[in-house]
Amino acid sequence: MTRDFFLLLPLFIVGAGAILLMLRAAFGKLTLEAASPVSMCVFALAFVAQLLTGTTGHFVPYESAFNGMLVVTDFSRVAALIILACGFFTSMSSQSYFKENSFGLVEYYSLIAFSACGMLLLTMAQELITAFISLEIMSLAIYTLVGFNRKNVGAAEAVLKYLMLGAFTGAFFTMGTALIYGGIQSTKFAALGTYMATEGLFHTPAVVGGVFFIIIAFLFKVAAFPFHAWVIDVYDGASMPVTGFMATALKTAIFAIFANFIMINPALKNQWVPYLFYIAILTMFGGNLIAIGQNTLKRMLAASGVVHTGYLLIALVAVSTDHFSGSVILFSLAAYAVSTLGIFAALSYLTGNGEKRTSFEDFKGLAKSRPYSAAAITIFLLSMAGIPPTAGFMGKFYIIVSAINAGQVTLAVLGIVSSILSMWYYLRLIVNMYFHDAKESFETEKSILGPACMLILAVSVFAISFYPIAI
Amino acid sequence: MLEHILSSMIFLPIAAGLLLLLFPVAKNGARAVGFVVSVAVLILGLKLYTGFNGAGGMEFVERQTWVQSLGINYILGVDGISLFVLMAGAVLFPLIYLVFSTKPKGYYANLLIVEGAMAGAICAGDLILFYIFWEVMLLPIFFMIGLYGGEGKVAATIKITIYTIAGSLLMLAAILYLGVSYHSQFGGWSFDIAKMGAMKLHGTGALLAFVAFMLAFAIKIPIFPFHTWLPDAYTEAPSAATFVLSAIMAKIGVYAVIRFVIPIFGPEFTRYALLLAYLGVIGMIYCGLAAIAQKDFKRMLAFSSASHMGIIALGIFCMNIQALTGSIYQIVAHATSTGVLFLFAGVLEERSHTRKIEDLGGIASQAPVFALFFAVAMLASVGLPGTSGFIGEFLIILGAIKFNVVVGILAGTSLIIGVCYMLWMFQRVFFEKSKKASFKFKDLSGAEVAAFLPIVVIIIVMGIYPQPFLKKIEPAAKIQISSISQHVQVAETIVLDKGHKLEQK
Repeated sequence: MTRDFFLLLPLFIVGAGAILLMLRAAFGKLTLEAASPVSMCVFALAFVAQLLTGTTGHFVPYESAFNGMLVVTDFSRVAALIILACGFFTSMSSQSYFKENSFGLVEYYSLIAFSACGMLLLTMAQELITAFISLEIMSLAIYTLVGFNRKNVGAAEAVLKYLMLGAFTGAFFTMGTALIYGGIQSTKFAALGTYMATEGLFHTPAVVGGVFFIIIAFLFKVAAFPFHAWVIDVYDGASMPVTGFMATALKTAIFAIFANFIMINPALKNQWVPYLFYIAILTMFGGNLIAIGQNTLKRMLAASGVVHTGYLLIALVAVSTDHFSGSVILFSLAAYAVSTLGIFAALSYLTGNGEKRTSFEDFKGLAKSRPYSAAAITIFLLSMAGIPPTAGFMGKFYIIVSAINAGQVTLAVLGIVSSILSMWYYLRLIVNMYFHDAKESFETEKSILGPACMLILAVSVFAISFYPIAI
Repeated sequence: MLEHILSSMIFLPIAAGLLLLLFPVAKNGARAVGFVVSVAVLILGLKLYTGFNGAGGMEFVERQTWVQSLGINYILGVDGISLFVLMAGAVLFPLIYLVFSTKPKGYYANLLIVEGAMAGAICAGDLILFYIFWEVMLLPIFFMIGLYGGEGKVAATIKITIYTIAGSLLMLAAILYLGVSYHSQFGGWSFDIAKMGAMKLHGTGALLAFVAFMLAFAIKIPIFPFHTWLPDAYTEAPSAATFVLSAIMAKIGVYAVIRFVIPIFGPEFTRYALLLAYLGVIGMIYCGLAAIAQKDFKRMLAFSSASHMGIIALGIFCMNIQALTGSIYQIVAHATSTGVLFLFAGVLEERSHTRKIEDLGGIASQAPVFALFFAVAMLASVGLPGTSGFIGEFLIILGAIKFNVVVGILAGTSLIIGVCYMLWMFQRVFFEKSKKASFKFKDLSGAEVAAFLPIVVIIIVMGIYPQPFLKKIEPAAKIQISSISQHVQVAETIVLDKGHKLEQK
């Protein structure tokens, strides 16, 4: 039992931190200014704890805890590390954001920690009820965060949209759970896997339907085509740091459980691969078409997030039992997270009071007055576009190797065509920042954490790319 | 130092450029740093050149494991082919800092980065490493055109960037295809270029990979009909960037065809060589004719450069030792002559504030030394005997006639177009009556003369006594040719068989 708790140590740290922040906020003992470092400390502590549990060597991989409800693997460990890092950097960049935007409360940081709890659980969940509960822990906190700026109509619209559709998704997920339970009398992934191994995927219609509903729920959460329509408005309505957090940590958590679920049985994976194949293609190209037409950065980044979901789906199509395909997913998630967090940190820092700078036009001439910020944004954009030697390039590189290795040459080539298309909107911002004259002086409140966050992330963009992954 | 000479030539300028970008430095300081670093690279290059013994294989090899699990290594090396492309860059770069004295800090910093990245692409012995440098060398050019270019800079920047990135991303897919094929044929992962030739590739996959590689390089060179980005980019780019693009970067495209396509895709290359050779000739004629019609001398030089790239490309598609040696020789000859011409065009534009040929005239009487140097570079570019351009073009035409008489004759006769536009332009700009823009045209200063003199001497020495240079090129060229000669023979016997059958009928 102690062993089980030890495996969940990072989760407990984040959970305790969330409660602590909430209580301090309730008693008014903590200023907003100080809440950010506290939250950062919580995430840093959990990160270190996660690293330590991974390296003590006492536990064999694929350790199950709590009677198989949760499974801690190297895969879930690394996913948790990414999520904790996302929480850390979001707390960091939120501080500079709330210097300009006055709707911040200490509860904000508490909610980030709570949603991170849900995400951490999600990476480990190997049982449908657990997965549902962690999904809801995560989602409820995120709903609140999206609508945190109560006076903003856009935020209200966003939260309504997300809440409604998210509730549907939750319903789909429970429906799927119920059907699967009806079919196999168990909600454990492992039981579903053994059932399919003996009976085949199409033996019981209830199981087929259940799996279908659950995969729909996952596809909705990662904003894959055709369930991507919400993402543009929701990302646009949420405040900058929250959007960054959603785009990175949430996607990591969902992809972790998605990969876990799809891998429970080869039959399941093979049956779903043809559909995921088309979904991946449509997601990439649909996302690109949407992104090309956008005029504000948040909407463009939301659509580019859809495109990246497409890339990750390629990795998911190519996933197999060897270590390589799993680490490809994690590496690309980390690479995407570091560049996306970076650009949202930069936007949080530069957007100004009431998010007044949001469009491509608004960032014209940034390089003249703020050369370092512009350089950082350029690095993040180049990473998202997949230009070497950035992390984004290596992420895409591994995805394509993994796809070709799995015989999915068409997907690999289409992935590359899609990244040619995506050059257009990434370059557009770089061109605006560098090759046009400034219309304003880009004054912002002084902040140490904002620029520091950008610096660390910009360095990480290169550091991650030189970190070789294991096969 | 000597065992890491290539790494130093690559990373010294890159590090210096990045540091210049990071820290506030005055314009003159940046220029001085740029000059000192590029001279240091030149000294390293000369050391490399003298230490190079020219047996034909890779020399000065550096090898370091990088991503072990995927067989990606940090491998550098030079042979007789890459040596000359590398040296062309090393010799020419210091000139830029001497000629352009009043540019912003970013201008000099980007030049340093592009110098290092190009050296990296030339020396890389691993496909992934090559790809990384290949992409990185575009970024400084992107910023140089966009920040310091002419009026249509934004459109030109986007055009060149999207064009080249589209090409290189497809090449990335082909590189990965090679890696995966290697994995399936030999069991282990590798992207080492030296090992790629051992693979047996066939079928649609190999053909597509060949097309992807050729497309990336054809855009960079550029080969007709992928040249449409060139006139805009060359004209709108600041002179130093045009110089870099035409003198070195285009050559890396040619070099890459020799280094990657010929050994790896022997059968495909042999099959499509004639088609590609015709594309080279069409490019020569088409861009040459376009050059005649230009009113802007920089744009004229851009088309002239594209036209000459056509003949260099033709040289590698002829698949014999003469033409290949000629191509490599012509790479250096063209880099020195056209590179200098673009630098002179920059000087001309800065001092007369115009790029229109009709606004200029009579410069020869105002600036005789400038006119003399310009004439030497121009004559080398049109291939006058006694200049470096003659040797290269002669060898290429010789090889082309050997390869295919029609191609050879077309290429040989279309050289005359080059003479037309060059001499006509020279006549209008340097002779005739002085016009307003060329009044009081300042001649080259003593420092500039000293800077350009070595290049002019190289042009003439290479034209009169080519032997020492050819001696270093030929062994490596032979190795490259031998890798495809078997395919050529197979193709020839097929053609002969068909001929026999026709005769029998």
